[in-house]
Amino acid sequence: MSTPAAVVWQKNPDLAWREIDDETVIISPHDSVMHELNDTGSFLWKNIDGKKSAAELAELLVENYQVAPDIALSDAQALLDEMSSRKLVVTVSATGGVSL
Amino acid sequence: MTASLSAGATPVMDRLISRTVEKHRPLSVHFDLTYRCNERCVHCYLDHDDQGELTTAECLQVLDDLASSGALFLTFSGGEIFLRPDLYEILAAARSLHFDISLKTNALLVTPERAARLGELGVRRVQISVYSDIPAVHDAITKVPGSLRRTLAAIPILLQHGLQVKLACPLMRENLLAYRGVMALAEKLGVPYILDLTITPMMDGSSGPLAHRASVSSLLPVLRDARLQACKPQPTSATARPESVWPLGSAVSSGIESPAYQDLPCSAGHNSCYISPYGDVFPCVQLPQAAGNLRREKFDDIWYHAPQLERLRAIRESQLPICSRCEIRSYCERCPGLALMEGGNLLGAYERACALAEEKARLAGVIAPISALHRVRDAASVPTTPEAEFGLLAADSNSV
Repeated sequence: MSTPAAVVWQKNPDLAWREIDDETVIISPHDSVMHELNDTGSFLWKNIDGKKSAAELAELLVENYQVAPDIALSDAQALLDEMSSRKLVVTVSATGGVSL
Repeated sequence: MTASLSAGATPVMDRLISRTVEKHRPLSVHFDLTYRCNERCVHCYLDHDDQGELTTAECLQVLDDLASSGALFLTFSGGEIFLRPDLYEILAAARSLHFDISLKTNALLVTPERAARLGELGVRRVQISVYSDIPAVHDAITKVPGSLRRTLAAIPILLQHGLQVKLACPLMRENLLAYRGVMALAEKLGVPYILDLTITPMMDGSSGPLAHRASVSSLLPVLRDARLQACKPQPTSATARPESVWPLGSAVSSGIESPAYQDLPCSAGHNSCYISPYGDVFPCVQLPQAAGNLRREKFDDIWYHAPQLERLRAIRESQLPICSRCEIRSYCERCPGLALMEGGNLLGAYERACALAEEKARLAGVIAPISALHRVRDAASVPTTPEAEFGLLAADSNSV
């Protein structure tokens, strides 16, 4: 699933999660499945705040990880899509609507 | 650079446990909010008088500190947690800090409205004590007439509001034969259960509850029960996830098994701890040696610097003076807290664990299993064979 740049992302508020030593563990409460993000994924996760788009998140990756912009965007979008498919993040449209 | 996301309960949990044990991060915290209770269970290890519980503000500060320290799994228990009027405020704060929240309760005070509130607040699991499917047996243990009926009435309500429910059944003299009924009840309700053979002394060390402990010989039918063995998952199986069913185990443990705990007595003080309603921090509720008090110190200062915890972290099972030499160690569920409370030595062996290990080994086909503790005692006792008696006599005569 790809989303237009205008769409911003936020964490699914139902989740339990904790960053422990640069890695993040997330638990889906309804099925108790555990998910794990590496340090880069954790960096993105921390910055998913309901205000930033994939492109804006990719810009933060470029600033902090010395990575080419196209690779950063590709990586950020891939991770967001994967997290969206697992219902870990939701999109918020420009009009404020939330979709899982 | 690749941002990665992985999933799957067992590998993620194993890695998480390994990391937190290695770095001593407080992954799992058991927080008793009150010792007050509306039941008077015969085997209970708590003093139910309020000795000055943490205030709401103090509880919220504790939660902030725990979140900052990296705690993820949080179990609220008691006493009976619904007797705290600020329970929902505390749960809301815990949810806003993204804890994975479980509750332990007798469920007497659960109503549809309260269950709905728990669901809204993101509580994942509720563990409920059920001692029997027979009201007379259950109610005689809780000393509250009608308690089983009220407890069981709460379960469908909680399930209806999306909460996971787990039954916990401590086994003692009064309900030893009731476990099959509890198993059947759990199956009928479609919920997991845990049977617990552990009856502990009171936290002040007094032994009153031990009068209700079933003897090892009376536990044999339970240990032999093929149904329990059949549903006991292997530690490395794919089912080892936070809510995995572990039919025989400790009700106060996380229930999580992992190779990361190899050579450690348990998780206590390594990546888990217990907090009392008065702010005392213990390695575990079954190891009541306070490492500090949250009214006087920050959690991190206690967790990372308390000498009691540092000493506990240095213990390795392979270095225990008696148990390390035990040939049936793999059948033993030695608890360091019980070793301290019952045997007087955190590092020592204690009778109950040794006797249970011998029975489990015997059931597994080991011929004449004997624990290291009993071997040491046997060796120290007066020999009884004629040859040995003759040898003693000869020694006595030589010494004259």
